[in-house]
Amino acid sequence: MTGRLIREPLVHFLCLACLIFAAHGLLGGRVEPEEAIVVTPAKIEQMASIFARTWQRPATADELKGLIDDYVKEEIYVREAMRLGIDKDDTVIRRRLRMKMEFLNDAQAEAMPATGADLTAYLAAHPDKFQEPPRVAFEQVYLDAQKRGAAAQADAAAILGSLKKDASFATSAGDPTLLPPSMPLTNRQGIAQLFGDDFAAAVVTLAPGHWQGPIGSGFGLHLVKVTGQEAGRVPALAEIRPQVEREWLNDRREAIARQKLDELLKRYKVTVAPFAPPAGAAQ
Amino acid sequence: MRPSCRSFSWLSACLLGVAVSTAAWAQDPVASDDIGLFNPEAAAHAFPKRGFSPYANRNYPTRVYWGDQHVHTGWSADAGAFGATLGPEEALRFARGEQVTSSLGEPVKLSRPLDWVAVTDHSDGAGIIFEIRDGNPALMADPVLRGWHDLMAAGRGVEAASAMIAAQSNGTLPDAVKDPKLAMSIWQKNTAIMEKYNEPGRFTAFNGFEWTSNAGGGDNLHRNVIYRDGKDKADEVLPMTTFDSENPEDLWKWMNAWEEKTGGSLLAIPHNGNLSNGKMFALSTFEGDPLTREWAETRARWEPMYEITQIKGDGETHPSLSPSDEFANFEKWDQANLAGVPKEPGMLEHEYARLALAQGLKLEAELGVNPFKFGFVSGTDTHTGLTTAEEDNFFGKHTGVEPSPHRWEHDVIKTPQVNVKGWQMAAAGYTGVWATENTREAIWDALKRKEAYSTTGPRILVRFFGGWDFEPADAQTRMPAEAGYAKGVPMGGDLRAAPAGKSPGFLVAAMKDPMSGNLDRIQIIKAWVDQSGNLQEKVHDVAWSDRRKPGADGKLPPVGNTVDVANATWTNTIGTPELISVWKDPDFDPKLRAVYYARVIEIPTPRWTAYDQKRFGIKMADNVPMTVQERAYTSPIWYTP
Repeated sequence: MTGRLIREPLVHFLCLACLIFAAHGLLGGRVEPEEAIVVTPAKIEQMASIFARTWQRPATADELKGLIDDYVKEEIYVREAMRLGIDKDDTVIRRRLRMKMEFLNDAQAEAMPATGADLTAYLAAHPDKFQEPPRVAFEQVYLDAQKRGAAAQADAAAILGSLKKDASFATSAGDPTLLPPSMPLTNRQGIAQLFGDDFAAAVVTLAPGHWQGPIGSGFGLHLVKVTGQEAGRVPALAEIRPQVEREWLNDRREAIARQKLDELLKRYKVTVAPFAPPAGAAQ
Repeated sequence: MRPSCRSFSWLSACLLGVAVSTAAWAQDPVASDDIGLFNPEAAAHAFPKRGFSPYANRNYPTRVYWGDQHVHTGWSADAGAFGATLGPEEALRFARGEQVTSSLGEPVKLSRPLDWVAVTDHSDGAGIIFEIRDGNPALMADPVLRGWHDLMAAGRGVEAASAMIAAQSNGTLPDAVKDPKLAMSIWQKNTAIMEKYNEPGRFTAFNGFEWTSNAGGGDNLHRNVIYRDGKDKADEVLPMTTFDSENPEDLWKWMNAWEEKTGGSLLAIPHNGNLSNGKMFALSTFEGDPLTREWAETRARWEPMYEITQIKGDGETHPSLSPSDEFANFEKWDQANLAGVPKEPGMLEHEYARLALAQGLKLEAELGVNPFKFGFVSGTDTHTGLTTAEEDNFFGKHTGVEPSPHRWEHDVIKTPQVNVKGWQMAAAGYTGVWATENTREAIWDALKRKEAYSTTGPRILVRFFGGWDFEPADAQTRMPAEAGYAKGVPMGGDLRAAPAGKSPGFLVAAMKDPMSGNLDRIQIIKAWVDQSGNLQEKVHDVAWSDRRKPGADGKLPPVGNTVDVANATWTNTIGTPELISVWKDPDFDPKLRAVYYARVIEIPTPRWTAYDQKRFGIKMADNVPMTVQERAYTSPIWYTP
């Protein structure tokens, strides 16, 4: 038990804290000059105003006093903490500071909005980002291969024959399913969401206008008639200006972040001790 | 008895008859408002006389929109502390299906894009930040600020920052900076990003935040607040923090004040009752007073949904609460609260959703209102900015447990009494929403009316309707939703005033995720209050695969297991792609309140631990589970006498 206590980081921390306080008491045993904490009218107004913005009503005198007391308490602890240097190795504080610095990069990126020429050039240089994939609309008749077993393929052929003679047969043919009997113009990814990848890959290659199949999927067999096709295209800037602006800004944001870091790096000489990846680490 | 409603030409007349006599489909998306008032005019409009085309004029939701209402980014102080560097912008790009680089430098992409997401960074600690960049005219009047702004605009932000930091530490910041308007800045930056990525019809980015109350030292009372509205309204008021209050009743007051001021709409979604040490569904108020009707009304109004499953454990039920439910022992985090304070006897009873649903019925009898009348959603609660709920693509709870050979044995909670290990993280989950279109308004409205459901990750499609006139033939059509909406209410709805001699029937249908395992079974879970006032529950198997026969004990045999753990693979040679059934409650007593929901179970597939083991070439301890039976929980349907 004692052995475990000795290894406990919290115990280390507490011992260290006791030492610091003891040293503080011994060495600085004298009464220190009083240090001012001034709660200015502006600060009080700020607290009152934040309260009002959160609660949609002014703070009462008691509530305001509570806020001020709490602020004074926080100020004392923050000053004492900084005096003891315990802000130095605090990961939360460090990450927060880093984040605030990164916000400054964003601010810079956003301070200079894109011109029309910027966006036209960006769209021309990155058509892939804005490409609308080809879309296909189709009807399908489903056959439950599990239920029909070995007869499924033959059943499919028979139903296909009937469909070719009378298309209105489609509304009643096949087995019940939650899969939609028809899909409006949808891209391959959208079809895959419902029917799975293999089926989607097959459907986008079909010729339109007549019943064909069966095509297999994770659900069973499908007879399919493609009823509409739309080629992929890159929209004009006017149609997608907000998206192009967003992507342009995002690229710029990243470029500025890289550039700022490079600039800052020049102010530092970084030395890293040799290291090896720990045993078992992924390659 | 009413005439049967089979003929289309009779449909609208029949519907009116059904609805007026029972108000049974009060939750129809078109014809209802939130309190379930029936509007005959709207109903007649919703179901006009049918023409030849079965698809014409169909205006009920025909597809599910998948999303996650619980994502933290590096902007959450704790996530940042764990090393998350991705912000809301990266989180949104990832959810939309783009490849991003994780905080630890690993390229990552979703198998399929999500349709919507809510980034819910903690409101606590989202504080004042430099706003000078905006060139806000009110600030630019100050020559010092003007100078900083010009520095930034000239690309010398670092100099500006250094000057600011110096001014801050010397106490020489211009007074204009202390203007409370600046406290909004992070929030406004956040809402601006949401606005940029919210594309109605294609992708929905909700405004939202998490209010993270850990009352009394780690008792998890966290809530996500989700906005129906855009930036203009969201920006009018500062998000509530727990510095303001840890009491959920104050959050509801804040939400009320917000709605009154802006005319907008909010809802709150609690999560992790399993880590609340008996507080999430306590039978007293936060201050320890007895519950009142007003309290019940307020909770039910603001909290229509509960996050039943996420990385920090599944909250449906617990083996000790549901001893006869063989699927109850699933991804449990049941040792302690969030701070590692161990559980004591009597706490579990107030932490899990199923028992809370039953308790809600009893409270309704006592108070006149059911405070625990909620539907089910999932969330990941990821703190990596990466909403990954799939077993083969799981990036962990926070950046400290992003993929690595050792994450399975890392401590997640460690105190002298309690130890939760990395392998206990659940790769969960996503929310499916039956909405009419992909917009903030349509998805939010569906959440509000509880026409949404939870899964542990796979995108299983589930329909669930309750009504008095379902017949087996309704499970044989190609469009079960047609019968579902015509004869009943969807998930989240209410059944009232049972017609003499009738039991409620449920039309339930499920289709597997094309990229995941086949389905094992559908179950309907009933919870009710018996004549003596005792809480009861029963799990019914209602549809299953592989022509299995229930044993002498009434239990269906297990579906089997095809998982090859060493290779982290499985085959869909067992189970079935789709299940559908109409089930009638055999034990129905029209005098007793009851609540029903469906649970869909997949066949076993490899758990994320199996993928880790395979990919890192490691061997985990023998007690680490390597397979999982993923599942979906629908929002319930309530019967009130």
